[in-house]
Amino acid sequence: MTYFVFFLGACFVIGILGVASNPSPYYGVVGLVLASVAGCGWLLSLGVSFVALVLFMVYLGGMLVVFVYSVALAAEPFPEAWGDWRVAGYAGALAAVVLVGLVLGGVVGSWGFGVVTVDSVGMFVVRLDFSGVAMLYSRGVGMFLVAGWGLLLTLFVVLELVRGLSRGAIRAV
Amino acid sequence: MSPLHLSFYSAFVLSRLGLAFHRTHLVSALLCLESIMLSMFVGLTIWPIENQTPSFTIVPIIILTFSACEASTGLAILVASTRTHSSDHLHNLNLLQC
Repeated sequence: MTYFVFFLGACFVIGILGVASNPSPYYGVVGLVLASVAGCGWLLSLGVSFVALVLFMVYLGGMLVVFVYSVALAAEPFPEAWGDWRVAGYAGALAAVVLVGLVLGGVVGSWGFGVVTVDSVGMFVVRLDFSGVAMLYSRGVGMFLVAGWGLLLTLFVVLELVRGLSRGAIRAV
Repeated sequence: MSPLHLSFYSAFVLSRLGLAFHRTHLVSALLCLESIMLSMFVGLTIWPIENQTPSFTIVPIIILTFSACEASTGLAILVASTRTHSSDHLHNLNLLQC
């Protein structure tokens, strides 16, 4: 089980490597989907199922769908693919930079194995993540209202940014 | 460093390098910003698990909220650039070029 969680962690890093070295935004989105699925599986294996599902719904279902539509809007009709030697060299160079940093930082020599999970025991059998996020609405109500205000503000910001030069007229994109 | 901490830390470093070295498209830089946020979210969620402090679980939820705001603003800039220059190539953003 521990090695399965490590495998998910490795898939996370490989997905992010795919995003950082993408030949075209279409393949970058594929890497981001792989990374978020691996991250969600990782959080599920550690026990925080609520936060993992929030990640799935808000991140994959909300933000990435909007991103995919925007990639379809803005990217080019004949994209490069993964098989180009420049892309492979780019990904290899990024991975080499990270590995050199790890070796120089002395991280690779001292690995501590083990995974900490989340199931709480005792009289009040409430899961850690459920009770924690529920505190957002009781103890953290100030931050909750600030976040809601920020979201409303962002709506108007986006509306103003895409309004275009001719104030309010609809133009063909 | 435990291997799982290494995993999201190196994912963060890779996304930052990808943001610094993005080549042609603006949307590639925005995707790297999203992956920075994803690695931060996973790291911030591991913290309350390992320290058994439920109240810290609020922080990744708030981070996700503000990252949605940031992603939508970035995509609005992308749409504005596509409307003006008919593509999101970075060499179009050259107003400050001497």
